[in-house]
Amino acid sequence: MAELAILDRAEAFGNHPALGIESNLGGEGWCVRARNLAPGFGASPGRRVDSLLRVKVAEAGDRNEEGLPDISGDHEILGDGVRFIPHFPFESGVPFRAILDLRALGQPGLAEIQTLEFSFRRETTAVETEVRQVFPSNDLLPENLLRFYVRFSNPMRRGRAADNIEILGPDGRPAPDVLYRAPVELWDSSMTCLTILLDPGRLKRGVGPNRMLGPPLRVGQRYTLAIGPGMIDVLGRPLREGFTKSFSVSEAVREPVAIDEWTIRPPEKGDRQPLELVFPRQLDWAQLWRGVIVASESGQSISGRIDIDVGETRWRFTPDTPWQEGAYSVRVSPDLEDVCGNTPYGPFDGPIRSADDSAVQAAERSIPFEVKRSERAFG
Amino acid sequence: MTNSFVRGLHSRRDALGLGAMSGVGLALAATVLGSGSADAAEVKSHPVRSAGPLRSAGAMAFGPDNVLFVGDISGSAVHAFALRDEDLTPQIRVELGNFHNFEGVDLITGLDVKLAALLGTTYDNIVINDMVVHQPTQQIFLSVERGRGTDVIPAIVKVDHGLLEVLKLNGIPHSKVSVPNEPDEMARLEFEPQRVYAITDVKYHNGEVFVTGISNQRFASTLYRIPYPFTGQKATCTVEIWHPVHGEFETRAPIVRQLIREVRGEPHLFAVYGCTPLVRFPLAALKDGAHVRGDTIGELGYGSNPLDMLTFNNPFDHKDYLLVTIDVRSASQIAVADLETAPPEPTGGPIDFGPGGLGRMQRDLPIRAEHIAILNPRWAVVIWRHPKTAHRLDLGTIMIPYFFDRRFGMSEMNWPDGPDPFEYRQYRNEIDRI
Repeated sequence: MAELAILDRAEAFGNHPALGIESNLGGEGWCVRARNLAPGFGASPGRRVDSLLRVKVAEAGDRNEEGLPDISGDHEILGDGVRFIPHFPFESGVPFRAILDLRALGQPGLAEIQTLEFSFRRETTAVETEVRQVFPSNDLLPENLLRFYVRFSNPMRRGRAADNIEILGPDGRPAPDVLYRAPVELWDSSMTCLTILLDPGRLKRGVGPNRMLGPPLRVGQRYTLAIGPGMIDVLGRPLREGFTKSFSVSEAVREPVAIDEWTIRPPEKGDRQPLELVFPRQLDWAQLWRGVIVASESGQSISGRIDIDVGETRWRFTPDTPWQEGAYSVRVSPDLEDVCGNTPYGPFDGPIRSADDSAVQAAERSIPFEVKRSERAFG
Repeated sequence: MTNSFVRGLHSRRDALGLGAMSGVGLALAATVLGSGSADAAEVKSHPVRSAGPLRSAGAMAFGPDNVLFVGDISGSAVHAFALRDEDLTPQIRVELGNFHNFEGVDLITGLDVKLAALLGTTYDNIVINDMVVHQPTQQIFLSVERGRGTDVIPAIVKVDHGLLEVLKLNGIPHSKVSVPNEPDEMARLEFEPQRVYAITDVKYHNGEVFVTGISNQRFASTLYRIPYPFTGQKATCTVEIWHPVHGEFETRAPIVRQLIREVRGEPHLFAVYGCTPLVRFPLAALKDGAHVRGDTIGELGYGSNPLDMLTFNNPFDHKDYLLVTIDVRSASQIAVADLETAPPEPTGGPIDFGPGGLGRMQRDLPIRAEHIAILNPRWAVVIWRHPKTAHRLDLGTIMIPYFFDRRFGMSEMNWPDGPDPFEYRQYRNEIDRI
């Protein structure tokens, strides 16, 4: 708002044509304004506004600006001047140049060119960005591990993963062709969580890359997931430092997620004690947030807080309101995966099923439990 | 006069307190005097999103009646823009090159730098996601993003006789459908991970839009079949597509590129998976809620990412061919007739995949195209990186069916006094135009 005031002040200095920046009232962002162009300017349409007021990205040293288009936008004719409204908001940190070429007015004696160079300061914070966490959190991972999740402390920019994230082999050198280069980097919408897949072509038995190169990881060996500081955050800054996660490799897991082997510890009535599920094997961290829900007897989903720990083998649910006595169930999504991509209905790559079996639509699984009155409540 | 004028401006600048660089120049015989001072005005800005329905702009396809479909990953949607006559410009008289002499032309040089200037940014902040050609105007449309983070601003940019123009979406009849069909609500808690479906391909066929993609969580092979005009979420079909390996295993994978073709009168989907197999499905089997297992008919070869998949008709032998461009090596070309008849991989025994069970019938074409699309029966358009300049992308033409350009090869025939067995000199004035 201070900027508007400044432009107003300009009028006090006479009625010479002037260039300035003002807030785009009625829209969002900023626009470029040329005022005091000529008496009755706005009343005569058909001026060559496109050549009167132009806004461009200012290249350093004015290098070869010929042939580069102006910034895309609209000109709005006003009473005494013209406003340029960019189609897309001006980007922070980019230098711009507005050029007011008064020769376009076609008035004799008025043949000057004014330029205004401006930029918008990029919002910044002193806190540097770093890798906060990597999942799976365990450091013993199966040979057919499918994916990692990397969580950053700030939103990031895409495009740097292939060059900055790699697996180092047992010899400490980069192990080639272990990670999958996805056609689109797999960020979540906040761009703080990046999914890294190991090469599915090498994980799947019998597929070409697997036959040529073998599986990405070898049992009994030690590897390191290395995230280089060249990952850029949304403000354009590299990470404060790189991040590594070392892990050893155990046997492949090629079985469905065994819900029958889960341990369930129901809570006691009246408390807001957590319901606890323990899994025999680590499950996929991200999918555990939505893949398991608690439902009342009527099937209504219950709201509460989820805690995932012990290397993603323990899932606890603390309801928002105390448990009532009665029957509940844990509903498990048919798509819930473990760290190798196995689901409750089948392994990541498993034997060919009959057409009938594979056509069956998988339903969610249900684990019933009861909340009973605790005897001690009356003790 | 001049001096007092300048002095006046200096005073204003000081009062403004902006430290504004405001230059004044007198135009003399058409020379422009620019400003030269050091500090530019610095203003604090508030980040804003671009207006309009798009949150991002990715894979695109044209449908009937000038409808442009745009995949929008950030917005979890596929949009349909029904372009009006005023949104399209027939590209009449645009020069395409010399077909006989394998010489394409540059339609736009420095495409990335020019897009950056158009969108008000620097060349390294521009991403070109897809390119499609409108028929019959032969106008080229690009889906572009400014920025690579949460501040991404999408744009559809069209090429008009060598000039770039932003397609103004305001006013274009628009509809959309959510993809995935249950977009993730806001995460309940700050640290709860959100699901994103990264749309990889959008294709229109016979009244439906087919959408493929990769989830950032599930390793799923979900394909969406959505009737167009969009009639509401309930009409969307969700199909899980599996492929067999070796006749022994079956497995799922996200589809990266898809193509729909009639095979002996029945429409089929050809899908390229990220893990390299090329799989064929009858569309009739892709029903809502189904898990469908297709036929693996080949593999594209290890370590490569398919970029574009399209068919073209060879103007010499008049046969249809499939072309798949690949990021790290030559493109693959396969006759469509071979695709249609290729047997599914045999069960048991040694498998000769090649690259691909179609390996023997596959040809490699030395195309370095980041994006490719068919313009007309004799020409394709490509976006490729200039070999010498780190960041320069060019948009140009290349002849069909060899996708070969003499400019990029060293040959004695390119010398003015070199041998001319293919009679280049005789044909050198024959320039194709739209």
